[in-house]
Amino acid sequence: MTDRKTTLLNSQEVSRALTRIAHEITERNRGAEQLALIGVHTRGVPIAKRLAGLIERFEGVMPEVGELDITLYRDDLTEIALQPIVKKTDVPFNIQGLRIVLCDDVLYTGRTVRASLDALIDLGRPAVIQLAALVDRGHRELPIRADYVGKNIPTSKQEIIKVKLLEIDGTDGVELMEVP
Amino acid sequence: MSRVVVRNARLGEGDEPHDLYFKDGLIEGLDLGGSTDEFFEAEGNLALPAFIDLHAHLREPGQVVKEDLSTGLAAATAGGYGTVISMANTEPPIDEPGLVAELITRSKRLGKARLRPAASLSKGMAGNQLTDFAALKQAGAVMITDDGIPVEDSHLMRRACEYAAELDLVIQTHSEDPSLRGDGVINEGEVSQRLGLPGNPISAEVIMIARDCEIAHFTGGHVHIAHVSSRRGMEVIRAYKAEGTKVTAEVTPHHLTLTDKISENFNPIHKVAPPLRREEDVKYLQNILNSGEVDCIGTDHAPHTLAEKQRDFLEAPFGIANIEVAFPLLYTRLVTTGILKLTQLVHLLTTGPAKVMGWPKPNLQPGSPADVTLVDLDNKRAVKPEAFKSRAKFSPWDGDNLMGWPFMTFVRGQQAYSRDT
Amino acid sequence: METVAIEIPEPTEMLNSITPRHLLDLNDWSLADVETLFETSDVMAQVMGRTIKKVPALQGFTIGTLFFENSTRTRISFERAARAQSADVVSFASGNSSMSKGESLKDTLRTIDAMQADLYVVRHQVAGVPHQLTQWTQASIVNAGDGRRAHPTQALLDAYTFKTRYKDFQGFPGMKLAIVGDIAHSRVARSNIALWTKLGARIALCGPATLVPPEFAQLPGVTRHHRLEEALEEASAVMALRLQHERMTSGLMPSITEYASRYQITEEALRLAHPNALVFHPGPINRDVEISGGLADSERSVIEAQVANGVPIRMAVLYTLLVGKK
Repeated sequence: MTDRKTTLLNSQEVSRALTRIAHEITERNRGAEQLALIGVHTRGVPIAKRLAGLIERFEGVMPEVGELDITLYRDDLTEIALQPIVKKTDVPFNIQGLRIVLCDDVLYTGRTVRASLDALIDLGRPAVIQLAALVDRGHRELPIRADYVGKNIPTSKQEIIKVKLLEIDGTDGVELMEVP
Repeated sequence: MSRVVVRNARLGEGDEPHDLYFKDGLIEGLDLGGSTDEFFEAEGNLALPAFIDLHAHLREPGQVVKEDLSTGLAAATAGGYGTVISMANTEPPIDEPGLVAELITRSKRLGKARLRPAASLSKGMAGNQLTDFAALKQAGAVMITDDGIPVEDSHLMRRACEYAAELDLVIQTHSEDPSLRGDGVINEGEVSQRLGLPGNPISAEVIMIARDCEIAHFTGGHVHIAHVSSRRGMEVIRAYKAEGTKVTAEVTPHHLTLTDKISENFNPIHKVAPPLRREEDVKYLQNILNSGEVDCIGTDHAPHTLAEKQRDFLEAPFGIANIEVAFPLLYTRLVTTGILKLTQLVHLLTTGPAKVMGWPKPNLQPGSPADVTLVDLDNKRAVKPEAFKSRAKFSPWDGDNLMGWPFMTFVRGQQAYSRDT
Repeated sequence: METVAIEIPEPTEMLNSITPRHLLDLNDWSLADVETLFETSDVMAQVMGRTIKKVPALQGFTIGTLFFENSTRTRISFERAARAQSADVVSFASGNSSMSKGESLKDTLRTIDAMQADLYVVRHQVAGVPHQLTQWTQASIVNAGDGRRAHPTQALLDAYTFKTRYKDFQGFPGMKLAIVGDIAHSRVARSNIALWTKLGARIALCGPATLVPPEFAQLPGVTRHHRLEEALEEASAVMALRLQHERMTSGLMPSITEYASRYQITEEALRLAHPNALVFHPGPINRDVEISGGLADSERSVIEAQVANGVPIRMAVLYTLLVGKK
């Protein structure tokens, strides 16, 4: 299988996008009080952590950070041929009344976000839930939209978006691959 | 009145083919020529005296959902058997002369293998009171046995042997000590401990064989030990034989070919009493067959319904149905592998059983009964239980490729089984 | 034709082995399978620690409990594990007209299988029944105890309890588990032997000669003892098995007094074991027979933790077997 790879965002462009998103978050939420960033496993987690670090730099206040594993909430479990491994959800604070920003790497059909909302609501009742995605690639199957987007990349369904992050993949970048 | 020829039959391996003539139910001779009422083609295959089974459960009366005389004797002839001794543990048990006579009359009409009924040792097989051996013998019973269950009361066993000795009757025993056997369903050992199933130790058999041999010894009666499954059991028998005790030993096809490990798949199709033993016992029994220590092979054909054999391992009844595959199984597993000579296998199925019973030695000489089976040694065929004549259309050897299939059996000079019908 | 959008999961998130279809005993489960199961159980335990003790992971699946042999505790544990993941549960218990003694298992299952459950949890008093049932249904089978043979979820929750409760736990290799009591009739013993040796621990079996058959000493990693002191020496885990009264009446054991005097696990006996040693019992306990009352109530005992861990372990088992089934 030959893949044609295109780099859509290089590591500098990823950094700039995250910086911009961090500013937008603090602007929309009027600062970092009552703010919490929750990353959706796997790559949403380093994104949430980086955004939190950036927000602390700008505002002097560190928002709460949590990790959410949504394997038990996915609606496509039976279609997955291999065993999806369940990871731990780590939200070590009470989300009651907080302003939550869910963070994920790619927003696509919207099903992951739906599962994240279910998982989050089982943990408590936030005041507000917003969504930050590094990439929005279109093809929504549910009425879901992102509040903060790093880059809009229209794609076809044959294409695959690969997000790479330093903490997991050793480098930052967003690549487009075509599957024949 | 009726003359039959079987063309192109070999009487021994490596022999030239001959035409074998039957007249009025007896062997007439070889290559005699002349007109016949019927002719059959052996196609160069082996003609053997039809086999004799001293031990089959035909389930009639009372258990006919498992098997009846018609299906059981048809299965026997399909297996190459011309004579079957049917066991007495039916419902009701064969403990009255009338029941014996009835079985004989019914079986004669079927035109299949000859039936020689056994009668039970105790009334109702309750183990308390002796049956009327003389009357039973008069009605046609050839053997006395409570097979299915052991005779627990040693005193009763002694009296049975004394009485039977005077009447020249064989007492067959199911030798297992009931209290040691307990609720055991497979051989006690490494496998039973691992599988967590109650075990039946070899000692249960050995102790009872010793008891039955000792009683044979001091009463002078003839005790025929059914389904010996262990080396230690055979050693006890050997010791008593050496002293001149009238004891004979039978081994089954399943105890010669299957071990307790097969129950690792928990299929009650293999549940049998005595249980399948360890590999060392199976190998031992295989290796002594050539020596003559084992007097005969008896099938212990024990059919049950499929539903019964699909219960859990404790609930399912004991027994393996095997009469239709006994010869091909033993031929393929023991003769083609060099463990057993063909002539010895035939002996264990014909002369051996006849000798135990004191019957004339089966042969294909003029004047002998025309009980003959034709066997194809070379053709390999898979075991297909759905095609069995027996009601028990399932088998531990389902799908196994075997050689040595009987394809035609004659009883009293009449064709009783043909593969094509 | 539109292609369906599938989010392809990351390769690092996949299990290397093919998911087993059944849990009949631990023979077909690899060490990796077991370790993954423990990780999944951690997550499940976390779910059960929340206010909303429910996830939709098994929504739409039907789980049947077939308890030919009664056991309220185990059945309820499995049912909770099923319901916590939003599965539908149907229960059959013995005495139910669908399950009569002497009926062929195939016919019994066929009547029940009409509801097309995706998985059956089966307990039966005779070994091998779960194996037999796999022939006659498409559903997955979880063995909740078959005769004396196996009780895999019990062993899993026992090992998991040790892993999560042992002070300074550093892995199973090097650990010694002592199992004391009626080994011969115990499926809990057999399954724990299979599991802990797979995990790398060694096992000392202890009890009267009539209740600890010699064949067990031939298993790798297992030794057989008749004196409690030998078995307990340096043991990090001590498991007492329930003594059943039938053993006395059937001539296997002299009397309760004799058994207790030789094999009861007491605080004093435990001094020979590792200082961090934990005491297990599959329950229900015969107080002051297998285990002294004082010890059962002390901190050394993890009996309650065993019961509590039953639900997350069983949740993980159900999840592992059902998710990914085509």
